[in-house]
Amino acid sequence: MALTIISLIKQVPLPSEMRMGDDGLMDRTKAKSIINIDCQFGLEAGLQLKKKYPDARMIVCSMGPASFETALRTAISMGYDEAYLLSDRKLGGSDTYATGLAISTMLRSMGFSKDSKEPFVIFAGRQTSDGDTAHVPSQVAEALGIPQATFVERIEPNDDGTITARRIIEGGYQMLKLPMPCVISFTPTGIKPRKPSLIGAIKARRATINMRTVDDIGMSAEAQQHIGINGSPTIVAGVENIESDRPPIVMCSGQNEEQLVDSLMDNIKKGGNKLEKKAEKTKKEADTTGLEAVDLRGDNKGILTWAEVVNGKIARPSIELLTPARHLADQLGGDTKITTVLIGKNVRPLAPTLFEHGSDKVIIVENDKLEEYLILPFAEIITQIIHQYKPEITLFAATTAGRELAPRIGMKTGSGVTADCTGLEIGDYIDKKNKRIIRPILHSRRPTYGESKLATILGFVYPQISTARAGTFAVPERVEGRTGEVIDFTPSLNADTYATSILETVRGEGGLASLFEADIIVAGGRGTTGDDLKLVKELAQALKDQGLKAEWACSRVVVDEGYAEYARQIGQTGKTVRPKVYVAIGISGAIQHIAGIKESGIIVAIDQNPKANIFRYADFGICGLYQDIVPELIERVRQGFTFGLEKH
Amino acid sequence: MNNTVKTDVLIIGAGPSGLATAIHLADLLKTNGIEKQIIVVDKGQSVGSHILSGAVIKPQAFRDLLPDVNFDEIPFDSKVASDEMYFLQNEKSSLKVPFHPPYMGNSGNYCASLCEICRYLAAKATEKGVDIYPGFSMSDILYDEKGDVAGAKCIDTGIDHDGNKLENFVEGTRVEASITIFAEGTRGSLAKKLIEKKNLQQGRNPQIYSLGVKELFSVPEGTIKAGEVYHTMGFPAMNDNVFGGGFIYGLKDNKVAVGLVLGLDFTDPTYDIYHAFQIWKTHPFVEKFVKEGKILEYGAKTLPEGGYYSLTKYFLNNAMIVGDSAGFLAMPALKGIHLSIYSGMSAAKAAYDAFVKNDFSKNTLKNYEQYVQQSPIYKEMYKCRNFRQGFTKGTLVGMFNFGTQLITGGAGFAGKLATHNDYRSTKTVDNAKKPLFKDKWASYDIDKPYNRSKVDDVYYSGTQHDEEQRIHLHINNEKEFRDINIKKYDAPCQYFCPGEVFEIHTDKTTGKKEIRIHNENCLHCKSCDIKEPHAAITWNVPNGGNGPDYKYM
Repeated sequence: MALTIISLIKQVPLPSEMRMGDDGLMDRTKAKSIINIDCQFGLEAGLQLKKKYPDARMIVCSMGPASFETALRTAISMGYDEAYLLSDRKLGGSDTYATGLAISTMLRSMGFSKDSKEPFVIFAGRQTSDGDTAHVPSQVAEALGIPQATFVERIEPNDDGTITARRIIEGGYQMLKLPMPCVISFTPTGIKPRKPSLIGAIKARRATINMRTVDDIGMSAEAQQHIGINGSPTIVAGVENIESDRPPIVMCSGQNEEQLVDSLMDNIKKGGNKLEKKAEKTKKEADTTGLEAVDLRGDNKGILTWAEVVNGKIARPSIELLTPARHLADQLGGDTKITTVLIGKNVRPLAPTLFEHGSDKVIIVENDKLEEYLILPFAEIITQIIHQYKPEITLFAATTAGRELAPRIGMKTGSGVTADCTGLEIGDYIDKKNKRIIRPILHSRRPTYGESKLATILGFVYPQISTARAGTFAVPERVEGRTGEVIDFTPSLNADTYATSILETVRGEGGLASLFEADIIVAGGRGTTGDDLKLVKELAQALKDQGLKAEWACSRVVVDEGYAEYARQIGQTGKTVRPKVYVAIGISGAIQHIAGIKESGIIVAIDQNPKANIFRYADFGICGLYQDIVPELIERVRQGFTFGLEKH
Repeated sequence: MNNTVKTDVLIIGAGPSGLATAIHLADLLKTNGIEKQIIVVDKGQSVGSHILSGAVIKPQAFRDLLPDVNFDEIPFDSKVASDEMYFLQNEKSSLKVPFHPPYMGNSGNYCASLCEICRYLAAKATEKGVDIYPGFSMSDILYDEKGDVAGAKCIDTGIDHDGNKLENFVEGTRVEASITIFAEGTRGSLAKKLIEKKNLQQGRNPQIYSLGVKELFSVPEGTIKAGEVYHTMGFPAMNDNVFGGGFIYGLKDNKVAVGLVLGLDFTDPTYDIYHAFQIWKTHPFVEKFVKEGKILEYGAKTLPEGGYYSLTKYFLNNAMIVGDSAGFLAMPALKGIHLSIYSGMSAAKAAYDAFVKNDFSKNTLKNYEQYVQQSPIYKEMYKCRNFRQGFTKGTLVGMFNFGTQLITGGAGFAGKLATHNDYRSTKTVDNAKKPLFKDKWASYDIDKPYNRSKVDDVYYSGTQHDEEQRIHLHINNEKEFRDINIKKYDAPCQYFCPGEVFEIHTDKTTGKKEIRIHNENCLHCKSCDIKEPHAAITWNVPNGGNGPDYKYM
């Protein structure tokens, strides 16, 4: 019984080379191409698994233009044997649904599906740096009908042929046991990808790259209706620049740390620069005369959300989600209801919380086996609810659970999914080709191209599914005593649904909800790991001692390098926070980090590199060595300096 | 797992000399119907990414290397249109030198980006069947049971700073070759080991070096024309008795390459060529070219300028050394590219002879020396054999010595002039002439828009190094380094390194000083290996694909 290890990879422009051009647009043309970083971790995981299965057949697959061949050859030079590239003009412009469909069809044509006799595993990266959706692994798993684990750091093969996977969740991790075949997607925090060997590179240069078209893989004519730019269930309707909503920084001046901190205190007292608002351009109204408005919703009606339960409580992002849900319900008008799905063990007492924050109905699925979230049963249950109740919109919080559930469910319902939205609105779609206006339709807005643009994505298959970025929407005001309708739902689940089991769930420090409530956050970056973030923690403690709601946090590298737990990570892949004051120390200010802090009241940056990106986003800056500045700052805090905050 | 590759020829380094060897050997073999595999390995992430030169190139070598190629196809930047030499008397004034010093004229030459040229040569070599693999570092020489070179081994990857294997450990590939060509450029790290082990420098002058730092600017239309060439002497190096000068080359598409090349035999332990370069740019003569410029790239490299008497013995059983690694560079014009190519072609001829005779010992490979002597290399290097040594006592004495050499056909009045290893020239802080450079340079205003700090400039070299590896810069003896290099010399590497790799950290409470190595900034110029007193630092090769990423240098 030979195991086959399949790695799915994508070639992307090197993120660090994606620079802002003079015109303010992201310049991708000059960027070199690499294998997407997360995918490299998937490749490495495959090579690690080969240590346990030395005879494993090593396959690497990709979908994209012929130039992706380079990435496949690199994979061979790392130790893979066979390479397949699905490349077809018909696939151009495919969204994630179409991509998942096409890749799974190719794998099926190669003999890999739920019914395969020989065991296989499919490894992938968590998400790509140019798309950032994290959808495709879930979609491929669903299309092949096999279990999955996403956001996985590490795996251990077991002697019985199963795999133990360590999956990152908010504030901790979970150990899962998966049978083969399965799909596992890897975060870039596991075993670092190896360097190619010269002997591998020599082999790679001579290797054959197996090129496949949609006809080669036996994609049916019906399935071909759902790929490419015309067939995908979602389209990108527009992309606009994200303009900075922060005024220029005030840099502190001084000859030494004492003067610099004096200057900071003085500047905060005086207040920062003011933003000069540019006159808003009036948008030209499109000419819609003669176009007929059509409503494609059919009998789909209402908004469905899923309430994630963590440690016996509804997770904060699921409550935040009720804010955009209410906004959409109001825009849709009529009698649009918000229905929230609540799954778990003894979850009935949580329903009032949902009503008080805006849910109109709560569908309860109680089952002792479902105390902890698990992808297969939860996806199946929510899909059955969707089929029965036919919502027009389904929303998930973009947590590690929401981001794998949404695409898996979307694959079942044929819906495209928009990931990690920061804006949700109801609007129109002018369908020029068919001379009609589709109305109402969900406009899902999400930052893209490293947060420099805001893309508007529309979906044409109901329910339209989106996930909303945690921390972006405020928690809706609680109306005490507000109630609604409770509906009990009994799903029909077969044994396969429980193919994966949870061995252990570990959550440190309660997911650190205190970061969301803090008035002031002191965050350390790579520059502060030298002393194990000691000064960062000390400053936060000094602020606490002054009676402020203070907390410490960090950037992604700090977590990646093991100096702090994931729950403290701020940024696109960590938490999005909105404290009154954010103090960034030794943080260069990668776009992904900025994404997590830009809602903060004021941002104070301390870094030794005057050209650090963080200074472009901060309100106040000190350029200097943190080892000099922070002790001085701690001293001042102890003397009563509070960054302008009121003491409690 | 099988980890050994066998090939006929292994060439380490895809610079002009290594690629010339590959191209010429491939041509010779093909003409005579012999099939052999030639593998070229380079540590840069792509061909050209570790290549830096001025550069003004004498084109004849390319005609000789590529006789069947239309000359216009070679991607030179532009033909030299004007060529002037200026003497910068002090920080403000300059004087045009009304004639060209001998051997330094550039008429008929071409301005070029050597990165581009190497990419072109690599493409030509690939067409001829040569296999080029960039992104792989060779860290060890393989020797056979007789102690002769048998090939080389790639660096092991996936190890931590202390050398422990990590989970992603990959053993470096062993490449066994009938002939191994060392074409690593200046102070090649394997060539250095080979030269030491086999005593190849015996009876010759030690090699001496200079360090060139260079920036490439994009400038407004009309600042400089493509093909305009200027060289400067004098300020600021002359004031400090340091040998060398600057260059300003106009390139197409409104680009200008500026650089300062200074000898590493200076005595001041705090001398910093990078800062001298920043000061040099503020001279009105230079400033006008860069004032409105936007930085595109930065880089640094060393050059072997010992000349004829410092050439290493460049052939031995199964192996040859070509290009800068052997010391093929012609003073006083500081031109090595064409000599690199001729040395590569000469080595290729010898390698071809070896394949014909099926004898790879030095009995056949000694033909390399004979081919070198028949090539233009010999003529050019021999007549200037004493040039550089004449300048070790300063520019005026140097001028006198050079004058006498011109009269005597290169010998001068003293015969063979000797050199010392550059690291021996550095004086201790106590013995050095005061004020020290570090106390002087701050008095210059180098805070102009076209000036940058070293660390900022390093960004424009595109250099990067994997976190997971042994620090490739090795302090040979930590205690001696503290007691001698830091205490007596103030750790010169912290000043002369153009990448700010070395930092001396003073503990605030104890006052104890220790060295910190920021290997991620390294530009692979090897100055530390050459210049640190007592040869206290060894430059080893880091992981393949690490180091600068030069694009048009």
